[in-house]
Amino acid sequence: MKADLRATPGRVSWKNEAALVVTAFAVLALTPFIVTDSYSRHILIMAFIYAVVASNWDLSLGYGGVFNFGHLALFGIGVYAYGLMTKLAGIDPWLAMALSGAVSTIAAIVVTIPILRLKGIYIILVTFGFAQLVMQLILSQSDYTGGTQGMVRIQTLYLAGHNMIRDGKFAYFYIALAILFASTVFLRLLVRSKTGASIVALRDNEEYAVSRGISLVRQRVITLAASAFFTGVAGAFYAAYQRNASVDVFGMSLATIILSMVLLGGTSTIYGAIGASFVLTIFAEVMADFGAWRPIITALLIIVVMLVYPSGLAGIWASARASWLRRREG
Amino acid sequence: MDAALQILFGGLFQGSLFAMMAVGLALIWTTIGVFNFSHGVMMMLGAYVAWQLSAWSIPLFIVLPATMLIMAGVGWLLQASVVRPLIGRPNIVLVVVITTLAAASLVENGVLEIWGPRSKQLPTLIEGNTQILGVGVSMHQIAIILITPVILGALWLFLNRTRLGLALRAVAQNEDASLLVGLNVTALYGLAFAIAAALAALAGIFMGGYRFMSPVMGADPLLKALIVVVFGGLSSISGPIFAAYLIGFFEAICSYYFGLYWTPALLFAVLILMLMIKPEGLFGAKTRGLA
Repeated sequence: MKADLRATPGRVSWKNEAALVVTAFAVLALTPFIVTDSYSRHILIMAFIYAVVASNWDLSLGYGGVFNFGHLALFGIGVYAYGLMTKLAGIDPWLAMALSGAVSTIAAIVVTIPILRLKGIYIILVTFGFAQLVMQLILSQSDYTGGTQGMVRIQTLYLAGHNMIRDGKFAYFYIALAILFASTVFLRLLVRSKTGASIVALRDNEEYAVSRGISLVRQRVITLAASAFFTGVAGAFYAAYQRNASVDVFGMSLATIILSMVLLGGTSTIYGAIGASFVLTIFAEVMADFGAWRPIITALLIIVVMLVYPSGLAGIWASARASWLRRREG
Repeated sequence: MDAALQILFGGLFQGSLFAMMAVGLALIWTTIGVFNFSHGVMMMLGAYVAWQLSAWSIPLFIVLPATMLIMAGVGWLLQASVVRPLIGRPNIVLVVVITTLAAASLVENGVLEIWGPRSKQLPTLIEGNTQILGVGVSMHQIAIILITPVILGALWLFLNRTRLGLALRAVAQNEDASLLVGLNVTALYGLAFAIAAALAALAGIFMGGYRFMSPVMGADPLLKALIVVVFGGLSSISGPIFAAYLIGFFEAICSYYFGLYWTPALLFAVLILMLMIKPEGLFGAKTRGLA
């Protein structure tokens, strides 16, 4: 079996992968003791949020092969669902965060219905339209959502006996990290399961997979719904953390950045998207001095990497690993 | 009577703009099989180039062709830099989406740097207003309604009656066979992008004459053009043109009776319904376009 098994579940043993993931997250969990200023912690928190959104997108885009361009709308729905639930309905913030994930999941199922019979570019068009529609609806209901002004003073999360505002973002850091951890474990368990294998089978050879009894409709709904839950939770956390919401989350610029995280990281890996989220978020911070030139430089970087390394950072990693293995085998 | 006339004018006017945008998207899709997400910023850049030329007090009848020529060059450049190197890759559709999106972000921020965020307006094609059967319309809108069919007709003649146009359609139908009979496929790819960008620029000039320009002015027309090509089917040029006018009228009727806010929602509902019944588009035949 010398074929490329990168996208195949079950290549690295369970134990090794679990050990690596736990080690990596343990290292991340220690960073607040080294990184003590609240601004650097803020950057890391944003990187965690983006990593959740990007890695969940990798599930539908990379594994499922479903070009869901409404993924950021699922994030935006999480943002606004949390804002509306805590502000208007007075629901407990923690409960609202979980419910936001559920709302995003339902939205994903709704958007799956029109794309069940579609392929490729048509899915891009419909999901893109869906994202725009959600934004239009939010803008039009300005009595509740604040319209173009956005929502302000959204209720934040709370911990009994702990002041979340004056701890230098210490607590927020761990909540964000916990969401990323839960999301990553969920995604990896899913893609390594039989369900994950059938999703990949549908992507790679739809006719054969269907003829072997895999239901395209059911698997596609599962793929989209599974990619939505933690995306919505991340949106809710983002709203609670930023304490405001605006329709900017539906904009093309954020979608482009997150999509480039998925593609730069290399699709169908989950870890690639997470790694690229860290790299790009920190890179954007390093570039802060360039001001208005930052988006221009980021765009150029994306184009250059896509032209030179078609399979992204994971491709560089894979080829480096392959050459190392070759040398070791002599 | 007033209502019917207003809807008629609104529909023809919006339909003209949508058609001008959608034709370029469809041309690129049929020829190269990729989707150009920079199409909206091509429109925006066209309007800004025209604004700059008019600011140097160049008369409008020179500004129009000059802008279209410049933008044709930009379209060619776009194709050469972010599309051509990727041809032959297995995941080209997805990668081109991200490279054209990145290019769009590049151009958008570049325009913001060069011309600043302040809104600008282009001179109208023809000044003044007129009354038709008691309904007031601007001459600018009438000019757009009249010019667009001429341009689209010229495009149709070009694609169906000239050797170059036939070559372009040959590439769209069968790339390998086109290579075998000696067509310069790469040059034709560039030509498709050049024509699309020139038409988008014209749409930008139309729009800049009645609405304020901003670096993000292309986003909404791009979305509408996407809806139009899904609606009309991507396999031909005439499908999107009919669909453009159809959607123009649909929008005019909806915004007259239900208000501006509900129009996008209704449009999307109709789109979903259409895709569930006839996914290849209203005028489309079943082709590779679906894959």
